[in-house]
Amino acid sequence: MQDKSKRLNLAGHMPLISLIVLCAVTALLTDRFLSPLNLTNILVQSSIMAVIAMGMTFVIVGGGFDLSVGSTAALAGCVAAMVMLNAGIAAGVVAGIIVGAAVGFANGLVIAFLGVNPFITTLGTMVLVRGVVFLITGGAPVAGETGLPDAFVAFGSGRFLGIHYLVWVPALLLAALSFVMHATPYGRRIYATGGGREAAYLSGVPVRRVIASTYVWCGALAGVAGVMLAARLQSGQPTAGEFYELTAIAAVVLGGAALQGGEGMLYKSVIGVFIMIVLGNALNLLNVDSYWQRVAVGAVIIAAAAADRLRSGRDR
Amino acid sequence: MTHPAARLAGVTKHFGATVALGGVDFEVGRGEVHAIVGENGAGKSTLIRILGGVFRPDQGEIFVDGKPCRFASPHDAIAAGIVTIPQELRLVPALSIAENIALGDLPVRRLGPVALVDRARMREEAGAVLAELDFNPDPERRVAALPFAERQLVAIAKALRRRCRIFVLDEPTAALEKREIERLFAVLARMQARGTAIIYISHRLDEVVAIADRCTVLRDGRVAAMRTRGAFSVHDLVATMTGRAAEDVVTAPVPPGKLLLQARPDGATTLALRAREVIGLAGLLGSGAGAMIRRLFGAAHEAVTVEIGGVARRFRHPADAIAAGIGMVPGERALGLVMNLSVRDNILLPNLAASSRYGIIDSAAGDRIVAELMALVDIRPRRPELRAGALSGGNQQKVILAKWLARRIAVLLLDEPTQGIDVAAKAQIHELIRDFVTRGGGALIHSSDLGELARLCDKVLAVRQGRIAATLDRAQGFDEPRLRAAIGG
Repeated sequence: MQDKSKRLNLAGHMPLISLIVLCAVTALLTDRFLSPLNLTNILVQSSIMAVIAMGMTFVIVGGGFDLSVGSTAALAGCVAAMVMLNAGIAAGVVAGIIVGAAVGFANGLVIAFLGVNPFITTLGTMVLVRGVVFLITGGAPVAGETGLPDAFVAFGSGRFLGIHYLVWVPALLLAALSFVMHATPYGRRIYATGGGREAAYLSGVPVRRVIASTYVWCGALAGVAGVMLAARLQSGQPTAGEFYELTAIAAVVLGGAALQGGEGMLYKSVIGVFIMIVLGNALNLLNVDSYWQRVAVGAVIIAAAAADRLRSGRDR
Repeated sequence: MTHPAARLAGVTKHFGATVALGGVDFEVGRGEVHAIVGENGAGKSTLIRILGGVFRPDQGEIFVDGKPCRFASPHDAIAAGIVTIPQELRLVPALSIAENIALGDLPVRRLGPVALVDRARMREEAGAVLAELDFNPDPERRVAALPFAERQLVAIAKALRRRCRIFVLDEPTAALEKREIERLFAVLARMQARGTAIIYISHRLDEVVAIADRCTVLRDGRVAAMRTRGAFSVHDLVATMTGRAAEDVVTAPVPPGKLLLQARPDGATTLALRAREVIGLAGLLGSGAGAMIRRLFGAAHEAVTVEIGGVARRFRHPADAIAAGIGMVPGERALGLVMNLSVRDNILLPNLAASSRYGIIDSAAGDRIVAELMALVDIRPRRPELRAGALSGGNQQKVILAKWLARRIAVLLLDEPTQGIDVAAKAQIHELIRDFVTRGGGALIHSSDLGELARLCDKVLAVRQGRIAATLDRAQGFDEPRLRAAIGG
């Protein structure tokens, strides 16, 4: 009994252990990995994806799926940039996040209340939203004639207490949202809904509203990521965020979440993001051909999911 | 000398401290129908699962045609020629009759290196085996389009094609109408004439008397009696099965208290549930009795009006019913629990608001509630952090009860509360329901175990085709045969 519970605990920390092993191996193979510049780089690169992966965690824990986050981030970035040029930074940031939440709300309504499959729904919004981005921007980056406001651009590259603003955002969000997920009734209802929708329903959980709300979180966080992306790129880029949805889903799964719902933790998804980014960084530093990098990353995702499946027991 | 088709010798099976089977001897010969009867929890389902290779006996041996066999999996049992036809048939509704019959052993035709399904032969073989049963549907029809009774025949045909010669039929007539039952019996007679051995499990004793060559009565995991045709009647089977039924009956009916709930679960007849009262809903599978429980809980598609303490309320969602002081224990435990959440989280799920302050969960308060209830309903092991899915069926059912008892609800709706759980847990759950009622609650129970209803209820409503067809009162006296007659079984 004692042994078993210890083993289970270890299994629960597989993502973290994998990340540490990955970092250790990379550090042994190349001394550039541990340089402050490289580590900072990894943090900044992870920051935007971490925000998206947190939103994705809400949806996946609730038993759903969202492919539209990359397009939503691009839309939010462009809308934020456009509004910012006319009405100031604060209005731009708020507009970007609201637009993201609105896309999520639309996804949520269709999925939770019309009962359309989340994969199809968000595949649709992914394409649709990308179209809207091109329509409103005419396909060109949004930066105005004089560029985005200086303070906003500074946010994209500046630091506070030696750490990039872009890294503070997911750090603070992680703390706040973990609290929501684990310490509030709402958060527990997300887990219950994803883990057993009918059982949750019969326990009085308003499952449709809960499911719809997870997409709102996901959209809003994609909006936040889009605004961060605009700050970093110093413009609203209509082509930004492509394949973000896939990286985010992979990160959440690497973090041990179950695609059938009810399992997953925000901080583990963030660890999943680190695994993805560190892996790419390591392959770069080791001068692995970029085509082979894709092959390696794809294989790692499948291997991680298969290992998880083996551990949790095979039926059928 | 000839050996019996299948024989069990001294088979024993324990689940923890509970003895599910204690040294059971049983045999069935070729061309014989041997019935097994007993109350729920007597060990019938354990015996079936041992024969079907699902469980391994702790002690004792299984012989097929005189040869000792060990089944490591259901696959081994089928390979040895033993097939179980369960109540929930394992067919693929989207495939045709012929495909279902051939599934797992498709006839193939080779086209060079490619194996193709030989559709013509598949049809032909299916047709032949179906004709053996005197059942001649179009083998290309989708199984989804067939009524239950015909799907059952498809399942039997499938097993016959695999040369299974020992059939275990588990409550085969539970969902059948009279005419369908007659057809099934005709099929069984044909199978019997061809030397098939049939082990027949049923609650319906009149059927057992009609078709069984021999009958074994199980009680508390032991063989209470084994009789041959002519030497048993419905009456003495009941006596042997129940044995101690007399002491189980609730003595001195408590006078019911104030009106708790009033509704029309079938849209016509008014059901009034009072404090300290247990009302039963009895009906055959598919009679709609289980659906009535769901409807009263606001879990059906349309909203329902229920009067609670004299005030009419509209339930659109289970949350409305819960807010009005109603709890429900659904028929399938998977619907009552979120299996990958802990016992603690499951108990707290409908009680999150009560265990929160300022919108934040108060862990200490939650722990207190959980510890108190786990002790009260005796959930084992007493580990709140364990996944609900890791518990035994009986303990899972206790967790479902605990989550409602934590709310101090007034009315408990239960749908098959003791289906598939062991004797000890069943008794505990009956005890909990009685306690709940004694303390001023009211309970409405749907169960296909009529003995259970006869023992627990003050009143039983017989449901037929979604309607309450009759009301039987304890004062008028009810027992299993009488309830059986009322529901049209």
